Amino acid sequence: MVMSASARVGKSYVFMSIIISTAIILLILTFLLINSWQAISEIGWGVFSSEWHPAAGKFGILAMIYGSVAVMIIALTIAIPLGIMTAVFTAEVLPAKYRFYVKSMLELLAGIPSIIYGLIGIVFLSVWIEDFFALQSGRTILAGGILLAIMVLPTVITLSDDALHNVPAKYREAARGLGLYPYEVLKSAVLPHAVNDIAGALLLALGRVLGETMAVMLVIGSIDRIPVPFLNTLLPGQTITSKLGREIAETAFGSLEFSALIFMGLLLLVFVLAFTILAQTFFYQPEQRLYE
Amino acid sequence: MSRQLRNRLFLLVSSGAVLLCTAILLFLFSVITWNGINALSPSFLLTASRSFGAEGGIFYQILGSLLMVLTAALICLPLALGAAIYKSEYLKNARLQKASAILIYGLNGIPSVIFGIFGLILFVNILNTGISWFVGAIILAIMMLPTVVLATFQAMNSIPEIYRESARALGLNHWQVVTGVLLPQGFAGAITGLLLGLARAIGETAPIMFIATAFSGIEIPHALNEPVTALPTHILALAQQATDPRALQNAWGASFVLIGLVTLFSITGLISRTKFKTVSQR
Repeated sequence: MVMSASARVGKSYVFMSIIISTAIILLILTFLLINSWQAISEIGWGVFSSEWHPAAGKFGILAMIYGSVAVMIIALTIAIPLGIMTAVFTAEVLPAKYRFYVKSMLELLAGIPSIIYGLIGIVFLSVWIEDFFALQSGRTILAGGILLAIMVLPTVITLSDDALHNVPAKYREAARGLGLYPYEVLKSAVLPHAVNDIAGALLLALGRVLGETMAVMLVIGSIDRIPVPFLNTLLPGQTITSKLGREIAETAFGSLEFSALIFMGLLLLVFVLAFTILAQTFFYQPEQRLYE
Repeated sequence: MSRQLRNRLFLLVSSGAVLLCTAILLFLFSVITWNGINALSPSFLLTASRSFGAEGGIFYQILGSLLMVLTAALICLPLALGAAIYKSEYLKNARLQKASAILIYGLNGIPSVIFGIFGLILFVNILNTGISWFVGAIILAIMMLPTVVLATFQAMNSIPEIYRESARALGLNHWQVVTGVLLPQGFAGAITGLLLGLARAIGETAPIMFIATAFSGIEIPHALNEPVTALPTHILALAQQATDPRALQNAWGASFVLIGLVTLFSITGLISRTKFKTVSQR
């Protein structure tokens, strides 16, 4: 069949569009890889040491990795139990007519820009931590972790609520018909069906926590040091994102320091992408919904 | 432990969690609203900022933010429509379909600071554009792209096959079916996606702070390669001088306005999602 001119132009336009749209992510990965190559080749495994001191030629990123992992663990330890228990209430106990309001509220809360969480963290949270633990400064790893927990809570609640809500009512009815208590209905009939989706939700939350920048940058204190003793989160620290946010614009393009910073970004990107893709491909049907 | 006791304990813990979450929520809303409203006044909205933001208003920050995100939407729309049409109507290979989905979902999951770094390397350093509002708009357009592509794709892909077959039976070729029958539906989806994307983009700080914004003394840019001032980066600058009560008050005011804009975009997006239901959902 002969294609008309407009059809031919149209088809090449839509083809170009999909090529550009799917190539952007590859382009970003390539640029980060090229720009971190200098650090990879010149510093090698030395990047995984604990001292960051550009003037002395030391580019160890371990302190930043420690910070990112530490805030992630604190945030998820708070947000996962709190979020799932709340979702159990909204999905299983709360009458259905209130569900719309709760969901809208959560959506609104999830839409608050991270810089505003940062402002709240500076003005309230870090001051409370300072007073409560009698510290010199409340800008600590703990403050970053708690703030991230608050930020990621709406996502955890709303996705877990969806997961529980999607379990067909017949399972609950059958379990209730056997005379089980609500707790037992949940544990033995509802949760086994929802557990896959909840796991996906948690992976997405993990990716969000790792990649969050502005709020963490404002409250974490920005000192590139692994705390002594190791688990003392009441000291200032640094995450990969806060380091990048504070320093990348002031670092000379093409220098070894720039390259080491970009390597950190690449590392972050690879982990976040792994979590996101894992969550989207193994736990959700791609057509369902876009989780941000 | 008896079954009854265990059940009570469960209800107790669950309500405790709900109470704690509600308390956090109420705290956030009241802090933002109370401090925001106290800082708000007509002159705050309509005058330029002075003395590094501690005095004056946020007029040019509002304009700058809107300029950047609306330009981003204009850049994003044609690309997203094209990509969604191809994905929905031309891409029939299941493996490629899956690969394109992974790449687009992956783009959606990229941390915002990485977009800023990408813009810094590609535009500011390699293409030597300098700090430019237009570069900011391009980067925000890339951030919005997955949301818009997927919203459009879902709207078009859910149109029943019978519509395509009927149109073909009338003698339309594939492209005419796409533009005449499927695109109107897809466009409604794209608008919804764009509004939700705008709600996210306008609050982003990390992607634009290295590449698009300057802090003060900037009004309206006259060329594509000039910097702009924006609400999120203004709040960032004010938050770093939070010991000055005047700066802090202006930070709350700017935050309130920013949340107002986010809410405006997302509520319009939600309305358009329910209003323009696709044929299959009617």
